[in-house]
Amino acid sequence: MLIEQSAYSNRWRQVSPAAKGIFSLCGMVAAFAAASPGTALLVALIMTAASISGAGIPLLRYLRVAAPALFFLLASGLSLLISLDLGASTLGVSLHPAEPELLRIARVCCRSLACLAALLFLTLTTPLPDIISLLRRCKLPDTLLDLMTLCYRTLFVLSEAIHETITAQSARLGYATFAISLRSMGGLVGNLIVQVWQRSQALHLAALARNSDGALRFLENPHDNTSRNIFLAAASGSLVVALALILP
Amino acid sequence: MTGPILKLESVSYCYPDGTRALESCSLAVQRGQRTAVLGANGAGKTTMFLHLNGILRPLAGQVCWDGSPLDYSRGGMRQLRSKVGLVFQNPDSQLFSASVREDVSFGPMNLGLDEALVRQRVEEALLAVGMAESADKPVHNLSYGQKKRVCIAGVLAMQPETLVLDEPMAGLDAAMQEELTAVLEGLHASGMTVIIATHDLDFAYGWADDVIVLQSGRLLANGAPAEVLMRDDVRKTLGGTPLVAEITASLSLIGVELRANGYLPRSKSELLKAINAQAGRESKS
Repeated sequence: MLIEQSAYSNRWRQVSPAAKGIFSLCGMVAAFAAASPGTALLVALIMTAASISGAGIPLLRYLRVAAPALFFLLASGLSLLISLDLGASTLGVSLHPAEPELLRIARVCCRSLACLAALLFLTLTTPLPDIISLLRRCKLPDTLLDLMTLCYRTLFVLSEAIHETITAQSARLGYATFAISLRSMGGLVGNLIVQVWQRSQALHLAALARNSDGALRFLENPHDNTSRNIFLAAASGSLVVALALILP
Repeated sequence: MTGPILKLESVSYCYPDGTRALESCSLAVQRGQRTAVLGANGAGKTTMFLHLNGILRPLAGQVCWDGSPLDYSRGGMRQLRSKVGLVFQNPDSQLFSASVREDVSFGPMNLGLDEALVRQRVEEALLAVGMAESADKPVHNLSYGQKKRVCIAGVLAMQPETLVLDEPMAGLDAAMQEELTAVLEGLHASGMTVIIATHDLDFAYGWADDVIVLQSGRLLANGAPAEVLMRDDVRKTLGGTPLVAEITASLSLIGVELRANGYLPRSKSELLKAINAQAGRESKS
């Protein structure tokens, strides 16, 4: 929901998705091109700055969206630190990896951070329908994109259905005790499966009524100054990549 | 160009689970008219609508468009569905796309029109239902009534000759019902044939030129609302009569004959106007 809000209300909403996609891609390339952890960190900072001061996404919201990913990054970073020393005579866990090992871990973490920032830039500034139409232009298979479209739409329909069912169940004390909660949860899942089936049938009928032959075709939204934006994005993106290559 | 635009000739249909939805049902919808379809829940209204659009195929009998039986080939269906637009009851089960403009473009894109024409039709359809300002909004941020209007726009963008709506007023508040009625009135004025399934007797009485009453999958009555809706068997199956008609009839029992513009009042406002006019006449005499 937070991602949704940002994607639809940021300053760069009308900028062509191709431009934002190119810039985000450049960010990822730069993340891999960066030789040292410091450079990767710099790339991450540039991408974050682009999202926050460029597209005008509030810092707090940005951090809240990034929090789950950051948590995973922290957890995997820590687990890399702890290495099992199986070869040594005293079987044990070592918490102090050697210097080169430490550098490698730092590089991996900073690189992931930069990639995360680059991806967040795209997802927070571009609504999913725009990303899908961009992928369509990149010639991704139609089936995959149709699935994405339907999943995205049904996500909201189903979350509403879940919410309504839980409210209705709670109103009749469906979550009063642990045992009753378990039974209610089972009921919820069973009910959802039936609903999914019925809704898919209804969607199929509705598609037929509007002359569908299977593929989902939609009009693409027009965007301002497409070629100028793409040029600007490519230029600034290349700059980031060049920076990552030049710095040690 | 006379004769009914759509006709069911003793159509029977039975769902795979054994439910008999239509039984030898015959009826006709006149071109350019406003037709209301009434009937208790499960009377076969939705099944009948799915036949009009060629989604269901009758097990017996036939459906005719413009005098000739429906062609159920791929090309025939394509043509029929571009002429008969069907709007379902639940908006959430017929909106696929995330943004309003995209969803409305689905039908015209399927017709294979070129992009400029699709764009033009989408904007026109959104304007017609008063949703032009929300064109770039995501569908899940709209209210129920707005979603309903987007569904109607999605069908209007295909520029059908006949618009079929399954209970469009269900779940709408009074103000939104009025707005939707105005939209439908505009479409009818532009020459479109409009068919609506409804449970609202007062709305049907005031709005329709022609009513169709279904009972257990059969046609019970078909004709002008003032005649059909006052029949005893119709009253029994629908559980009542339009309030305006009942008041008019009661007043005539005590010797007050109401006429608004020369015919019986059909809506609340017409009724009040007729009563006031009558009161004015009596105070003068």
